[in-house]
Amino acid sequence: MTGIIILGTFIGIIVVSFAAIIQRKLADAIILFMGVGLGSVVLFFMFKAPDVALTEAVIGAGISSLIFLMALKHLESQK
Amino acid sequence: MSTEKTNAEKTNIKKINFKRELPTTTLSGFALSGLLILTILSILLKNMPGKIQTAGDELLKLNATEGVSNAVTTVVVFFRGFDTLGEIAVLFIASLGIGLMLNTNHKCNIKAQSNFMLQTASKLLFPIMLLFGVYVMIYGHLSPGGGFQGGVIVASAVLLLLISHKEFEVPHSVIVVLETFAGVSYVLIGLMGLLVLDVFLANFIPHDISQMGLLLSGGVIPIIYIIVGIKVGSEMSMIVQNLIQRDHHV
Repeated sequence: MTGIIILGTFIGIIVVSFAAIIQRKLADAIILFMGVGLGSVVLFFMFKAPDVALTEAVIGAGISSLIFLMALKHLESQK
Repeated sequence: MSTEKTNAEKTNIKKINFKRELPTTTLSGFALSGLLILTILSILLKNMPGKIQTAGDELLKLNATEGVSNAVTTVVVFFRGFDTLGEIAVLFIASLGIGLMLNTNHKCNIKAQSNFMLQTASKLLFPIMLLFGVYVMIYGHLSPGGGFQGGVIVASAVLLLLISHKEFEVPHSVIVVLETFAGVSYVLIGLMGLLVLDVFLANFIPHDISQMGLLLSGGVIPIIYIIVGIKVGSEMSMIVQNLIQRDHHV
């Protein structure tokens, strides 16, 4: 069961990363990037590294994506 | 003129042909990755599964002597305490750089009016996030988490408040006091260890192994992690505030 979850998360991360690269709209790409962060949180937790999972959840999925969104807003206001 | 043009065309064609025949960048990339794979394989073959020695097992054996139930905390704060001091210095320098680059004298608070939902939700979520951050910080030696994680959770709570309330601003004087206090006391605790036990960042407060799992166990380790949490939290909130103020300048 654990192996299936890990494998599924791996495949999901790869698919979501490709989707994030392909996106034309930057906002969608940032949201998908957040999804990559969430997938890696699950992966870290499955590999018995809850400390790293906590850090990734806050920084990777939270603060960095919000900062990206802020930068995007800044870019669009300059256009 | 015509001869020059034809020459140029010829050289162009030659260049294109050369590139088509020998994609040097791709080839060198392949060669480099192949070399890396070979190196890793040779290392793996040299150390057969029975022979592999990892530092982790030795550190886990030593962990029991410190009376801290979270082994990662013992490694990060005690066995590699000096590295943590360096990491905090790196974070401080990053915060300093962002502050120098983005902080300007004329602060104009033309923030966009945020969503009503965001404002209401942030009022509900901010205290919970702050409490969770402090919990992760204080219980860093018992449960997963610690100073870095707790500090970043506190900073994300501040970020939520910054994007929802346009009149909110992180109090600069409080941040200066907190950061200075945390940085100085980390070094002072290290020097205390040097005085008492002749080792920098030694665990000089008495710590009994029988008290493992209690909140007041582990001697100096939880204190250092709380200090790390205060420092990381204040620095990250300052970074976030600088970025968002810059965002609302234009």
